Amino acid sequence: MIALTAVTKSFGARPLLAGVDLAIGRAETFGLIGTAGSGKSVLAKILCRLIAPDAGSVRVDAAQVGMLFQNNALFDFMTVGDNVAFPLVRQAQLHGEEIRARVAERLRAVGLAGSEEKYPNELSGGMKKRAALARAVIARPPVCIFDEPTAGLDPVTTSKIYDLLRAERDATGATVVVISSDVEALRSFAPRIGMLHDGRLRYDGDAGAIADSDDPVVRQFVRGALEGPL
Amino acid sequence: MIALSVDVVTKTIAGAWAWLFRGRRTRGEVVKQLYQIGNRSLLFVCVTLGFLGMVLVFQTCLQVNRITGDLSQVGAEFIKILVHEFGPSLTAMMLATRVGAGIAAEIGSMVVTEQIDALRMNGVDPVDYLIVPRFLASLVMTGVLTTIGVGAAVIMGALTAYYSFHLNPVVFLDPSHVRVGDLLTGIMKCAAYGAAVPIVAGICGLNARGGSEGVGTATTRAVISASFVVILLDFFLSGLALFTFQRGGL
Amino acid sequence: MKALQLAFEGLGSAALALFDEAGGMALLAWRVLVGLLTLKLDWRELVRSLYKMGVQSLPIVALTAFFTGGIMVIQSGIFIRRFGAYGLLGFGAGYATLREVGPILIGLMFSGRVGANNAAELGTMTVTEQLDGLRALAIEPIGFLIVPRVVAMMIALFCLVVLGNVVAIAGGALFGKLLLNVELSSFFHSFADNLKPWDLMIGLVKAAVFGLAISITSCHFGTSVKGGAVGVGRAVNNAVVAAAVAIMISDNLITMVLR
Repeated sequence: MIALTAVTKSFGARPLLAGVDLAIGRAETFGLIGTAGSGKSVLAKILCRLIAPDAGSVRVDAAQVGMLFQNNALFDFMTVGDNVAFPLVRQAQLHGEEIRARVAERLRAVGLAGSEEKYPNELSGGMKKRAALARAVIARPPVCIFDEPTAGLDPVTTSKIYDLLRAERDATGATVVVISSDVEALRSFAPRIGMLHDGRLRYDGDAGAIADSDDPVVRQFVRGALEGPL
Repeated sequence: MIALSVDVVTKTIAGAWAWLFRGRRTRGEVVKQLYQIGNRSLLFVCVTLGFLGMVLVFQTCLQVNRITGDLSQVGAEFIKILVHEFGPSLTAMMLATRVGAGIAAEIGSMVVTEQIDALRMNGVDPVDYLIVPRFLASLVMTGVLTTIGVGAAVIMGALTAYYSFHLNPVVFLDPSHVRVGDLLTGIMKCAAYGAAVPIVAGICGLNARGGSEGVGTATTRAVISASFVVILLDFFLSGLALFTFQRGGL
Repeated sequence: MKALQLAFEGLGSAALALFDEAGGMALLAWRVLVGLLTLKLDWRELVRSLYKMGVQSLPIVALTAFFTGGIMVIQSGIFIRRFGAYGLLGFGAGYATLREVGPILIGLMFSGRVGANNAAELGTMTVTEQLDGLRALAIEPIGFLIVPRVVAMMIALFCLVVLGNVVAIAGGALFGKLLLNVELSSFFHSFADNLKPWDLMIGLVKAAVFGLAISITSCHFGTSVKGGAVGVGRAVNNAVVAAAVAIMISDNLITMVLR
């Protein structure tokens, strides 16, 4: 479904991604972790074809990719309803009434029923995240990328968001990539986790076994330990 | 940077053409921009052009008094130069700051909050969606605001001439020196300025990088670049006018 | 009736907002004056600002001045050609440039380059709470940041207008020859014979006053930012607009009072 081969990307003189190889199968869930600035968001944008790599190849077998941005990226000049409807509006085959119904249903599913007329700046952080999630999945894209879906949210809201992600994934069978710094929460959601460090995927395998990895960098990161190579 | 700029210019012109002649419209976007640019700059343009009128007339009357003492032609010449030079150019300088900063700030903050990425993810071209409506609105509004600004300048000029130099307003308000060439030059300038400012500001906005600092930088760059482009266009269009319209006939 | 009421409300709140901002700026100007008189300013920041604002604006000011000279020559040329009075080109273009158009256009470009930048910088510092950080270290932002910038902007714009005048006249002479076939010597003679030092002085007084206007507006709007990235953009916008209005108004006052 997704195949990255030897992907390289530099910004200025500094190489950020130095040969990333990644293959994700249909309906698989993949979690991506790494230190701040390791290039996780850049990798996500390469997957969505927003950025082109300097070298290497990118193959994504999906016409549409749904993305939940780290900072939500809700259009602040539109209402929540128009925001969530946006991906559907771009597929001109749907009519106004059908779009309205889908938007209402999606908002209900994420717990924001009736917020169609509100503007993003009237919502709390957690509500914005949920609205952005609704927008990312409303067109039922076969590939979904969630960039830091629970950053800055309290533990209860974090659990709720992961519940929503789980429901979404189980309902549509989409291929999902989640980027997160919250390794614990990610482990119960993604059976397979990869760690990005120094421009490459240092670990790529079973989520359960990651804490016992041979690699000291990976071990330290996952355990949050103070001592180690990081 | 150059590649992006050329890309934006071609896309904007293509998009504007499609909007006008092929009915590809975004619901109400252009109208919203007409309001943004027009209503919110109206007072600003009137105030600045009004004061400009006062100063120009004051200076001119002072000088003419020193040389010939005959103030009868001042109004007519003033209106003439207002139409083909100072009206369009000063209005455009003001709009380059007001509208240029506004567009760059808006688009710039959308870039740094990843809203532009979100647009592209949904198959929307940001130039088409954001810049084309502002381009069309600016084309119209620059002309409208210039006309109103010229009016403000003429009124304030007439008042100045009357109160400071006792010049009869009827004598002052003499449009007879304005030729077709002057009007054409003025219209050409309004069109050129109206086209250039949103494109330059849009390019600066799309190049914003990095948080609130990036937005500030983009806004600054937009104001200077837009203002300078106005001056450059003014120079070339005035030169063009000198060699075509102003040969003494038109 | 409702529309009339709304209009009045709008006008009223706009007027209140205007007075609010004007009051804020007056207050800032006063505090700057006090800071200056008690010599409480950071000299290193002054020198650093002078360099940044003066030297870095040089290219854009020179280019602006060059083409302004050209524009004024063309405009005077249009007029002069009707009467065949080519001998007056140096005077006509020079008078307008030195007294009015030079200071105004250079002032506007300076406002766009330095004023906007200053508002953006101070705005970002406000949003990221750096100003509060300074106060926590018992460093008063006025003396440390604001006064040096005000002084630097006035000095910088003054020097830039002086330089700009030279470039504008040179550019004007060049275009006079290229476009209107007026000999350089004729241009400079009519320039020197008819213009007095006072015409130059008025332009320079304007430059200093514009510098003050630009610095006070940009510092005021920069330090009163609310609201993140969008707020900074809005502050820059307001600063530049306010500076432009201040430039036009003070230009008027100076012209009418000083003649």
